[in-house]
Order: sequence, then C-alpha cells, then structure tokens
Amino acid sequence: MLFSLIIKQMKMLIRNKQPLIILLVMPLVLITILSNALGSMMDGGEEVAIQANLLIVDDSSWVQEEEAIKLFLEQEGVTGPPMDALLSQFKNSDPVELLKNTILTSDEMKKYIATDYKQTVDLKVTRQDKNIDGILSIPSNFRLNYIKSVYFNNADFAELSLYLNQDNDIRASIIESVLADWKSGYTQSAALLDVGLSPEKVMSSVNSVEKIEQVLESNERKIPASIYYTVGMLVMFALYIPAFLAGFALQEVQWKVYDRILLAGVSPILYTLSIFFTGTLVAFIQQAIMLLFGMFVLGIEWISLEGMTVIVISYSVFVGALSALMTTLQFRTKTEGIANVFNGIFITVFSFLGGSFFNIRDISEILGKIGDLTPNGATMSAILSIQKGQDLSVIWPFMFAIYLLVVVCVLLSIVFFPRRGVTE
Amino acid sequence: MLQAISLSKKFKTKEVVREINMELLAGESVGLLGPNGAGKSTTISMLSSLVIPTSGDVLWNDKSISKNPEPLRKTLGVVPQEIALYPELSARENLAFFGRIYGLKGELLETRITEVLKKIGLSDRQKDIVKTFSGGMKRRLNIGAALLHKPSMLIMDEPTVGIDPQSRTYILETVKQFVEEGMTLLYTSHYMEEVEMLCDKIYIMDQGRIIAYGTKEELKELVSDNQTIELKADLFTANFEKALGERFPKATLRIEEKILTISMSKSEEPLATIFAIAAANNVVITSAIVKVPSLEDVFLHLTGKALRD
Repeated sequence: MLFSLIIKQMKMLIRNKQPLIILLVMPLVLITILSNALGSMMDGGEEVAIQANLLIVDDSSWVQEEEAIKLFLEQEGVTGPPMDALLSQFKNSDPVELLKNTILTSDEMKKYIATDYKQTVDLKVTRQDKNIDGILSIPSNFRLNYIKSVYFNNADFAELSLYLNQDNDIRASIIESVLADWKSGYTQSAALLDVGLSPEKVMSSVNSVEKIEQVLESNERKIPASIYYTVGMLVMFALYIPAFLAGFALQEVQWKVYDRILLAGVSPILYTLSIFFTGTLVAFIQQAIMLLFGMFVLGIEWISLEGMTVIVISYSVFVGALSALMTTLQFRTKTEGIANVFNGIFITVFSFLGGSFFNIRDISEILGKIGDLTPNGATMSAILSIQKGQDLSVIWPFMFAIYLLVVVCVLLSIVFFPRRGVTE
Repeated sequence: MLQAISLSKKFKTKEVVREINMELLAGESVGLLGPNGAGKSTTISMLSSLVIPTSGDVLWNDKSISKNPEPLRKTLGVVPQEIALYPELSARENLAFFGRIYGLKGELLETRITEVLKKIGLSDRQKDIVKTFSGGMKRRLNIGAALLHKPSMLIMDEPTVGIDPQSRTYILETVKQFVEEGMTLLYTSHYMEEVEMLCDKIYIMDQGRIIAYGTKEELKELVSDNQTIELKADLFTANFEKALGERFPKATLRIEEKILTISMSKSEEPLATIFAIAAANNVVITSAIVKVPSLEDVFLHLTGKALRD
C-alpha cells in the first residue's frame, strides 16, 4: 500500500511540467551558467580556495637593539669602519625583515597568507581569536641573539615562538611550512655563509610557495566553480520538493481523493509516511542527477564516494521529513500559504546563508556559522569539506545538525497533525 | 443495515445537520433529496465515517462506526460530488491505484479494472489521461473508482452534476443496473426525477433537517389533495400575480422564465378564474397544463420553495 502511494506521488511529480522544470531543469541550467560565468574568477588564480591569517608579534627592532649589537661587536674587537660594514651586512640579511618585506609580501605568497603585524600583545587573549591561524612571536632580543649565534658561534641561539590554531589544519600547515622553510634558511646561515651563499637567497618566497602548494596538494584540493555551484544548486533546489509534495497532498484533500484513500483503509500516519518516503526518494534522485551532470557534463571528479553517499542520503531524509511537516501544516491550515511562504522567503534566506550563490564567510564569519545551522548550509559545507580532501570525520557535526532538524520536523508533524481529520 | 441516530453536525457555530434519523437496509435504494446547501453532503460524509458527528451516532449492523469504521468502509463504495481522480494519470492508472489501496493486486486487480472499465463504458479510453476526458467521462470514471473492491453498498453524492444529458442518461442507466443487481444505494441529488427513477425510499432534506420521508407514493400522498397548474405566457405582469394571490390566497405561485406554476387545493376548479384574471390584466396565456403531483410538488408543498431555488 505504501509502495502504491509512493509510486502515485512520483507519477504526479513526473507528469507535471512545473515540478520538473523547477526541480531539474532550473538547477542544471543555473549550474552551467554559474560555473562558466564565475569559473574564471574562482578558478583563474584571482581567488584561492584557502588563505591563512598570520599575526607577527615583533618585540624586536633594530632601533632598540642597535646599541646592544654595537656594544657586543666592540667586545668582540670590531670597531670603526669594519663595524659599520658589518652592521650594514647584518641589516641586509636580517631574517625578520626578509620574512616581512620579501617572503610574505610577494604576490604569490599573499594569495595564501594574509599577514598582520602587532607589537606586544597578550598572547593568551590573541590565541583565542579563531580568525587567526598562526601567531609568530619574535622576542625583544631576537636580532642580537641571532647575530651572536650565526656570526660569532655564540651558544645563545635566537628563539622564536610559533602558535598554530588547530581548528583548521590546512591553514595551520600553510603557515607552518612557510615559517619552517624560512627558519631553516636562517638557522643554516653560518653554513651558507661558509659555502658562499647569502641567507636571503635561500630564504626566497619561491621555495615557500612551492612548500605551500605541496601542503595543499597533499591535504586539500581547490574547489572550482563547477563543484561549488553544483553543490550550491543541489542543496537549494532540493528544498523545493516539500512544497510540491505538500501542494499535491492539499489538492488530494480538495479533490476528495484523500477521502477515497482514507475509505480504503489507509491511515493518515501511513499517508504521511508515504510523503516522507517520496520526499526522500525524489531528493535522492534529484541530487544523484545533479552530481552525475556535474561529473559527465562539467567533468567534475567527485571524491570520497562513501562520504558523499552519507551526506546525500542524510539530506534526502531531511527533505522527506520537511515534506511530511509541510503536508501536515497545509492539512491543518487548508491553504497553500505555508508552502508559498517557504518557497518565497525561507528558501531564499536559507540559500543566502547556506552559501549557494557565494561563500557567505567572505562577508561574515557569524553569518557563515548561522548558515552551517541551516540544512542546506550544513550539507553544502559537509560536501565541500570532503571534496577538498578533508577527512570524513569533518562531516559528522554537519550530519548531526541535519538529523537534529529531521527529528524536529518529525516531532512537529506529530504535534500539528489534525486530530479530527482533514475532511472537516 | 446502516442507521443514523440523531445525527447532528456543527461547523464552528453553524449547525449544518440537525438531529437526523435515517435507515438504509440491505438491497434498498434510498434517495436523499434536497436543495443545494441542505446538508446532504455532510450527512453522507458522516454516514461514510469521513466526518465525525457533533452528536448522535452512525450504526453499521447495530455497531457504532465511531470507534471502528473499518467493517463499514470495506463494504462501502463512495462516489463524491467532486471528480476525485488524478487528472495526470490515465483511466487505467487511476483505477489501478484505487484498486491497490483496497488491497487488490496481480491478476485479480487487472480483471477488476477490465470489468469496471467495461461497466462504465471507458474500455476504449482506458489509456488516455483523465484531464483529456469530457465531464461525462470523468463522472463515469469517478463512479468506477468506487466499484473496484466490489462494494455491497454505494453512496453517491450528486453524481450527475454539470454534465450533458446524454452522459447523465448513461450514468442513470448504469446506476439503475447496480440497483437491479441488488446493490444497496444511497443517492443524493437535487434532481427529483433522478431520485424518483432510482430510489424506493426517499428522505427529503432542507436546512439540515429531514422534513419528510417515505416511498414515492407515500410522499406524493402528502400532496394528493393538491394540484399543480403550469401556465405559459410571454409575460406575467405583477398585477396579474397580485390578483391571482388575492383570489387564491392558499396557493403557492412560482414564476420561472415564462412559466407560472400554481400549486393549490384540488377542491378548487381554478382554470376559468385564472383565464379571466389573465384577460383582465392583459396577460396572454399560451398554454395551461394541470399536472399530477411530483416530488417537486412535495418539496414545494413542504417548504414553500422549489428544489433548485
């Protein structure tokens, strides 16, 4: 009986032009247009999929340390013009200046790392800032100690502190790789000087960029416009399914077909269950078609099949639960008002917050977090995370949000189902 | 046996059915006659267990259906006034769906669909999409959908509304055949000739109440002392109508287009007087018929208004 109801609902959907256009044709057209129109911007190197935020807290400077350095040189027996020449040499190969003015300011590097500079901050407080992926703390006597250790083999080696935010492994890895490369350059300065190489040549940004690309390649792939918009449209257009199914259900009541169904012994619970299963099935088929379209027409290589299956099934279950809830609400109100409001307002807001048209985090991190609480936003974030090559475990918080919403929809359906029947 | 006991239904503050008592015995064909808005559809919705009465009860074989409607539903076929079909599906697909939800499957389902299609005369259009059907064909399929599970009782709510005379005749002949085959029938209509043709027993309903019931003969007996005179003229003037009213104060007058219907006691012999009044008021009567009482007259007699008012 349940099967007959599902088949009938599927036939109603398939034989109506409007649902077919909205659920399939529109998203496929939009995916194609957006992927091509915005592809050059997203894929062409103007924008990168990931950018790490580095804060350099520099408590050292030539101004405050120059006198101490001169005193040290005098103690080492270097005075007069040789001292001036040596100081000039030190300044030219100052690793901090090299990092600030050469490595991090190159055009290539700026795509991957955004740098901010501060002096003397409360590290405990600053480390709480989730927007900062790494903090490089340079102590006040760094330059003096660096000269002592590299040029005069003094045992007091210049120490730096690097704090990495563990919330985003990839961004932390980018910072770590660049700074490790830089550090290895200046720690080997003495040896480099011995073989006639200047440290600044070794600590070039080219090496660091290569390291970043290696990190990205090994950890995370870029998300091209084709993937972004296929996923964006997929999660958005699945939300139109509940309104169609609820609309058909209301028509069944108005046409008195629902009476016939009840007279045949189909309970209202079974009927609502059939809407739930139809919604789930239609959402699954719709998403599968879009993913296959992306694969065969746009040439997308979907990775992590098991993760994708879990996400698509979970989102389909949510769409099924929302269909049941919307049917219940329309039965109660006996109007299409609920579906109209949902289609007209909710889907637009959810799509905006969920990032179907652009990454909402580019505007506001808070809006991005709110977006992750929307079913479409959570699903989109989950799919994009695993498509970047992240571990499957990253999807569970998103799936938890989806199933929480499924439970809410089911509970509300039970609460709002008209107890005295729908016919009256 | 299906019984309605003191059945009432209120929607918010409006009481649409009031204290109705009805009885439908196996093999009987019962008519429920009343004008639009009389409460017929609500009554049959309660009788078929779809609407819960505000007070009173419906008994099926002496057991209340309020707690357990299933035994009634299994034996019942309901033809609603609306076209309760899926317009995007074919005739056969519609019947297959309704058959399946009644638990029919496989060869039995196919056989029943073929039988029903033959019965309603749609075998040659079975694969066509319902939305391409004429009103009459939709009505026939609407009836067919209620027959798949071979119900022993059929409730039909105005099954001939809005269709052409040819389709209407076809449907009435089909329903007549059901009655002759022994099916129990509850037929609602505001077309008294349909009820008169199909039903043994008739309940007349107005403003939510049963105002009379009995066989056709018993009901007509109510107006046996009455006669109905139907006059035709190009124009009935207000003065003529007023003069008739003054002369026959107990008569009921009703003008519909160019026909004046006068219902009055048989004891009076009014034709000569009527012609005289017509002549005095410049009304040219083109025909005058003295009719035998009909259910229409019964309704007019009981309520003072026509069934289709």
